[in-house]
Amino acid sequence: MKARARLVVERDSGGASVVRELRSMSPLTLLPCPPSLHDGDPDTALVHLAGSAATPLGGDVLDLAIVVGPGARLRLVGVGATLALPGQHPGPSTMSVTIEVGAAGSLEYLTEPTIVVSAADHHADLRADLAADARLRCREVVVLGRSGERPGAFHSETRLRRDGTTLLRQRLDLGGALDATPTHLAGHPVIATELLVWGADPAEAAVGDWWSLVPLAHGGSLATVLAEDTITAYRRLDTATAAHPGLAEPAAAVPVSG
Amino acid sequence: MPDDLDAAGAAAILSLVDSRFPGGGHAHSGGLEEAAARGLVTDPQTLAGFLRGRLHTAGALAAVFAAAAAHTARNLLSPPAASRADTNGVGEAEFARATGNGHGSTGRRQWTALDAELDARTPSPAQRAASRAQGSGMARAGRSAWPSPVLDGLLAATPRPHQPVLLGALAGIAGASPTQAALAALYLAVSGPASASTRLLGLDPFEVNAAVVALSAPMSEIAAHAAQTCHLRPADLPAPSAPALDLMAEAHDRTHRMEVRLFAS
Repeated sequence: MKARARLVVERDSGGASVVRELRSMSPLTLLPCPPSLHDGDPDTALVHLAGSAATPLGGDVLDLAIVVGPGARLRLVGVGATLALPGQHPGPSTMSVTIEVGAAGSLEYLTEPTIVVSAADHHADLRADLAADARLRCREVVVLGRSGERPGAFHSETRLRRDGTTLLRQRLDLGGALDATPTHLAGHPVIATELLVWGADPAEAAVGDWWSLVPLAHGGSLATVLAEDTITAYRRLDTATAAHPGLAEPAAAVPVSG
Repeated sequence: MPDDLDAAGAAAILSLVDSRFPGGGHAHSGGLEEAAARGLVTDPQTLAGFLRGRLHTAGALAAVFAAAAAHTARNLLSPPAASRADTNGVGEAEFARATGNGHGSTGRRQWTALDAELDARTPSPAQRAASRAQGSGMARAGRSAWPSPVLDGLLAATPRPHQPVLLGALAGIAGASPTQAALAALYLAVSGPASASTRLLGLDPFEVNAAVVALSAPMSEIAAHAAQTCHLRPADLPAPSAPALDLMAEAHDRTHRMEVRLFAS
């Protein structure tokens, strides 16, 4: 199955962010939520991304393009977990997300966990290009295998650029024999990351028990968490991002354990 | 360019990976001290897993940049044959474009680009600092052993270079190939933690040595892959990463500042 979805959000003359273009293609279903129905900031467009239960399968190629125009604000929220499954067709399943955020625009892209089931081979590709003063908050949670099962393979490639400068480039190859090594996942089945280019960057790293929030060398920051389960992963991610000075939530001093 | 080992290049590689090399590498455990403190490495078996994981991630990343830096250094020393053979000036223009500078180029743009792209592939500030500390130490030793305008150019562009870039540049300046530079980076990525393990955990040096030697096959495989990417634009170089190693590097850095640890990283 090949599917291409596209979402374009722009700022209108009244300062509100409006969905200008919305193309869903099963299994990538984009559901805009009218401002009257959400209690968030009315100037921020809210769109839900719903997948269908049995995708992606091996051989599937899914593409999602997100464009946030100058000054526009979009919150794109995943609905339900994604199960990466093996398929009858040869080849891996691939999910490519391309993000462009224009000057003074902002995007929150908050997905639900991707569960890599046994024998799956899933590739996740994220390319984000930001204008100099654009904001991005991008969360990804990967669960290697359902409870007690041997996971399939998960490969991800992340490329984050701002104004032409590479802020982060990272490749993860998970679901193999290296997962158990102390350097890779140290035996944890859940890895969560949150990319934050959101106002002030943390001045220095914040660290705790299998989590960290680190300032990147050329701007932006990255929270990384390893955990035994998703509940712990989200808790640690919340602790890590709470140490970020740029987020609206008050950044209380984070206790450091471990 | 042939990948043959000429005598000067071979001697340089042996010297660069020698624990006697005065580059300051002995102060770093490559994350092993933190892994040992957490009880994740306790014996030769768990050490073998640590070394294997490090080789395929931090080691592979270092190999990619060492190979690219060796390639860059060699090109700066002697521009590609096609360009030199061309006497009508087109070749020179091509080379100038490829290197981002004119003839007599110091390679400033390439060194800065390699430096920035390795930064982008090293999210952990503690690991960036450890890499630059070791690069600077290696630069001091390299300046007296392999003086070269190419090295001067690199240090002018990036005064505190990342270790894999500096290592690759020195190897290239001395005549070694990108594959050999990558191999040196891979060997150093595991030999440092291996020798630290004998000091931290009192592991049997014979078993530790065997664990390093057991990685010979993946080492040459990863080095060959790294050499294949050495001519890519720095922005397109691969970025293998090691999440647990990154987390432990930050935790170690924190502990290191609060209490005494044997190694700086």
